[in-house]
Amino acid sequence: MPNALEISNLTASIGDLQILKGIDLAVPFGEVHALMGPNGSGKSTLTNALMGHDAYDTSGSALVGGVEVMGLPVHERARVGLFEAFQYPTEVAGVSLRDLITEMIEVAPDPAAASERTTQASGLLEMERFMDRAVNVGLSGGEKKRSEMFQLAVAAPKAAILDEIDSGLDIDAVREVAELVEALRDPTFGVLVITHYSRILRYMNVDRIHVMVDGRIIESGGPEIAERLESEGYASVR
Amino acid sequence: MSHFDQMASSTAGAEDPTWRSAARSGAFDAFTNGSMPTQDEEIWRYIDLDFSMDDYRPAEPGLIDLGGDPLKDVLSDPVTVLLSNGEYEGEDRTVDGLSVMSLRRALVESPSVAESVLSRAGVSAEEDLFKAAAAAFGGGGVLVHAGRNIVAPSVVSIDARSGGGGAASFPSIVLVAEEHAELSVVVHLRSTPGDDTLVIPQFSILVGDGARISLSVVQNFDYRARSIGSLRAVVGADATFRFGEIGLGGRLARLHLDVDLEGRGSSANIVGAYFGEQQQILDYRYFMRHIGTNTRSDMFLKGAVEDEARSVFTGMIRIEETGQKTEAFQTNRNLILSEGASAQSVPNLEILANDVRCGHGSTVGPLDADQRYYLMSRGLDPETADRLQMRGFFEEALQMLPHPELAEPTRAWINRKYETAQAEGRV
Repeated sequence: MPNALEISNLTASIGDLQILKGIDLAVPFGEVHALMGPNGSGKSTLTNALMGHDAYDTSGSALVGGVEVMGLPVHERARVGLFEAFQYPTEVAGVSLRDLITEMIEVAPDPAAASERTTQASGLLEMERFMDRAVNVGLSGGEKKRSEMFQLAVAAPKAAILDEIDSGLDIDAVREVAELVEALRDPTFGVLVITHYSRILRYMNVDRIHVMVDGRIIESGGPEIAERLESEGYASVR
Repeated sequence: MSHFDQMASSTAGAEDPTWRSAARSGAFDAFTNGSMPTQDEEIWRYIDLDFSMDDYRPAEPGLIDLGGDPLKDVLSDPVTVLLSNGEYEGEDRTVDGLSVMSLRRALVESPSVAESVLSRAGVSAEEDLFKAAAAAFGGGGVLVHAGRNIVAPSVVSIDARSGGGGAASFPSIVLVAEEHAELSVVVHLRSTPGDDTLVIPQFSILVGDGARISLSVVQNFDYRARSIGSLRAVVGADATFRFGEIGLGGRLARLHLDVDLEGRGSSANIVGAYFGEQQQILDYRYFMRHIGTNTRSDMFLKGAVEDEARSVFTGMIRIEETGQKTEAFQTNRNLILSEGASAQSVPNLEILANDVRCGHGSTVGPLDADQRYYLMSRGLDPETADRLQMRGFFEEALQMLPHPELAEPTRAWINRKYETAQAEGRV
């Protein structure tokens, strides 16, 4: 059985600057992992490199449900089953969330199932009131993250990367997002939560934590890592 | 040799009342002594006029067959008017105080109304060769008139057709809403497929004190046609002029707009959406003059160009010394969809009063890479992502049209143009 996400020796650079220096990381189906690291450690670069942002030169491998995605264009990575919840979801003026979801359903492997998931997730996340508003325009930080989680539910990916999903949120919103992740946890996919702070991890059961410093994973282990980082800071792992 | 001679002018003016004759003969002199505008004149900068009036002759009378007007069908129970190469076809009508009649007959039968609007909001033959040509060789058109306190019960839908290879036509659309009256008019400018025809539309609009006029113009000429249009509106105290223009067709399509906010508390809302494809040139020169105090204007235009198409928007807000407490805004945003396409966007302000609020914004650029990336991360291929973004770009302008019914057909026309450009690999 392949992993939801399996990254091997992944590097990424912009020009002469190497940001990711060989990442190995696996998230099995049904598990939620966290990737933690200080600012500038390469967490967002990892997200972008995996999703296929054209700013980076990359090498190495990333398998999503056993399928290699490196080298594919962004939309094909998404169709293989990779999903990114954005740290700063992009505003798409004049395009309603309903229009976007309609297009997502159209390209889903099983449009009927995607349509069914939309109905369910829209109810669960109370999204109906956002459907006719432009994508991410005029939404609060918490509403944007909620919309990202909704799109995740519609896409039903094999691997989801939640990039700094707790950034810019107050404590209630952080808890809410954590609970949504827990509610969506499913044996059909794996989740990698990327975070700077450990506070979101208080509200969710992560199976494993990876610590990234200077473009490398320097430690992987259980939830106790988060507690240690909280009390001692990243200085303790450098 | 020119077909625009003394005889053509006399023929065009055969039905003129005496008070019109002098103006026509003055316009004929202005035309004969005039020359093709060049880029040396600021108002003609950015475009080359690659033709001469000698390439054209006055259009022959006769009905142009273009099939039914699709816009008529989206409007609720409209009063319909057909102009064929500028000539009014059909009977004059009066519906609950709203009168719709041939401009030629109006000049004879309602000279006081016609004279008052043409003297205040008529197009001056002195301004350029095309305006002189219209005054010397035109005359056909429609007068839509709502008398004092009349709220027009239905929208007037004007199907203005032109056609004939080498034919020039001068449709004149004259709108008058007297004190506290309300008028709503939709004009569909069309031309016969394949015909190199020249159309010089003239809009003359008088909005009386406390009155409202909403006008939408859908410019849907064939790509062989050229159009050099002008619009002049004079807006009275506490009156509102709403105007929307959709620019789709024409190898060259220009609209010169002059709105005078004369009365205290008058306002104008101007919206535009245009899409140029292949070698089209879409050219907008919009002038907003604030003369009265407490006047308000908002101009908002969005456009896209693909392949080698070009667009020009020059906007001028001029606030006279008398225009204190004015609020005036103009926004023009342009999408460049192909490397060979270009857009000029030139907002200008001239402020002679000291207690005003003004703002302008202007952008020219490609589709947004972050939006494309975001949409692609949802599984949308780049073509679909761009189509969605392009549609979204126009949506803001479409939502502001004076006639919301026109949003859906306009959306469909613009999308079709974009999808054709995609299918043919131009964007």
